[in-house]
Amino acid sequence: MTISCQQLTGEVWVVSSYGRLDHSLNPQLEQSLSNLLEKKRNRLIVDLSHSNYINSGGLRCLVTAWRQAREQGGDLILCGLNGRMEEIFSLIGFDRVFTIRTTQEEAQQHIVQETKNT
Amino acid sequence: MGKEEILTVPGRYDQIQVICQFVAAGAREAGLENDDVFHVELCCDEATTNIIEHAYGAEDVGPIIVTYEITKETYTVTLHDNGRPFVPDDVPEPKYPKIGSVSNGEALDDILNSLQIGGLGIYFMRKLMDEVYYTFNGVQGNSLVLVKNLAPEDHK
Repeated sequence: MTISCQQLTGEVWVVSSYGRLDHSLNPQLEQSLSNLLEKKRNRLIVDLSHSNYINSGGLRCLVTAWRQAREQGGDLILCGLNGRMEEIFSLIGFDRVFTIRTTQEEAQQHIVQETKNT
Repeated sequence: MGKEEILTVPGRYDQIQVICQFVAAGAREAGLENDDVFHVELCCDEATTNIIEHAYGAEDVGPIIVTYEITKETYTVTLHDNGRPFVPDDVPEPKYPKIGSVSNGEALDDILNSLQIGGLGIYFMRKLMDEVYYTFNGVQGNSLVLVKNLAPEDHK
């Protein structure tokens, strides 16, 4: 039950969640994302491949950070959603808000390409 | 034959996992599939959060009593609290962005607002459960009832 942050090549950071994104883990996710954004690290990938549960609090963290990243000229994109997570994201239309890629590598390619000229 | 179990916990966020484990165990016993068990957990998580945030207004104000009942046709969870009346029907349905309106600030504000007033939790309950209903009376407080229908092959 933890959140890890790792810098990939360039200015891309990947935030990985390990465990259920619920009341016990969401505060860590929120803190990790806001720490990065405060330092203007705004090309963010959130890797959800080690989580198979998210509640509305977790979704709120993600959309809030997504908005801040976009305001800074960056982006926050997602990867590694399993079928259950995909169901929740599409149920509320978040699959159309977030860019979602299957793997971390694909997400990295997308975000590097997308933010190259900014 | 029906079966009923009751769990009473203090109204605190750290009890949500206890409630989730309790209702998930019941859901598995009722024969629900993993995805349906997850739906029950998520809806009880959201309902408990709403009780603490809206009915009680803070942690440790009152208890939450959770009951599950298994019958031949249904798996029913009831969450009960003694807080302020909270009527799910009064919460508007959240608005969601249409395709192509990703950068539409207004639609996003609607999403963020709905996320903050507990509207999203109620939306999940309406979408993921087969039946959701709510009762309040001055003596017993709020009761939220969440029902999953059991498919014939789920019967044990």
